Amino acid sequence: MTATQFKWFLTILTGGLAGVWVIYDLWNLSRLRGKDTSDPIVADKRFGYYMGILIGVVGVVGVLRFHGVV
Amino acid sequence: MVSTAVPAPTAPARVVSPWNPANAVTASRFLCLPPFVWAVHGGHHQWATIIILVCGLLDKLDGLVAKIFDCRSPFGEMFDAITDGICYGFCLLVVAWYGWAPAIPVAAILILGLANTAMRGIYAKRAGRTVNYKSYAMERIVAYTGYLIGFATGGMEVTYFFWAYVPMMTIIVLHDAKRMLIDAVPGAQL
Repeated sequence: MTATQFKWFLTILTGGLAGVWVIYDLWNLSRLRGKDTSDPIVADKRFGYYMGILIGVVGVVGVLRFHGVV
Repeated sequence: MVSTAVPAPTAPARVVSPWNPANAVTASRFLCLPPFVWAVHGGHHQWATIIILVCGLLDKLDGLVAKIFDCRSPFGEMFDAITDGICYGFCLLVVAWYGWAPAIPVAAILILGLANTAMRGIYAKRAGRTVNYKSYAMERIVAYTGYLIGFATGGMEVTYFFWAYVPMMTIIVLHDAKRMLIDAVPGAQL
C-alpha cells in the first residue's frame, strides 16, 4: 500500500466509523426521550450515548486535522 | 460503601461451558500480540495497523459467535473484558516503548484501566458471583482504545487523539465508579 493509499485507508476507517457513530448514538439518544431517567439503566444508556457522540466528534475532528482542514 | 442489594429475578440457571467457540475466538486475540511486537520492532507501520485491526475485529466477532452458538455467559463477558485490557494495555505499552505514542497519556490510560479493573472486581464481590459490569460509555471508550493504538501505528494525529482520550476516560471511570462502588447491585446474592 502506498503512503497515500494508507492515509486514505485510515481516513475512511476512522472518519467513516466516527461519523456513523455520531448519527447512531444521536438516534439512540432520541429513542430514550420520554423514558424514566431515574431508572439507572436508562441513565447509564443516556450517559453512554452522550459519550459516544463526543467520541465520534473527536474522531471526525481528528480526521479533519489529519488532512489539514482544521 | 453503601450497599443496598436488589433481589435477583428468578430465572432457570443455564450452565455454559467455558470451553466454547466464543471464548476460543476471544482467546485467539492473544495470538495477535507477538506479530504486533514484531511489526512495531521492525518499523512496519502498516502491518502493525492491520494486526491491531484484526485484534479489534476478533473482539467484535466473539460476541457474534456467542450469539450464533448460544454460548453467552458471565464468564465469557468477563473473559472478553480481561482480554481487552491485556491486549490493548500491552499494545499501548509497546507503542509507547518504541516512541510511537506519548508516554504520559499512555501511563494515565493504563492507570485508569487498572483502576477500572479493580472496581469491576469489587463490583463482582458485591454481587457475590462472576458478573461483568455493563457500561455503555465504557464499551465506547474501549473501542476508542483499539483505535488509539491504530492511530499510533498509523501516525495519525497521535498527540491529539491520545490527549483527547484521557479526560473522556477519566469522566467515564468516575461515572462508573459510583455505580460499581456505591449504587445497588442488581441481582446481588444476599
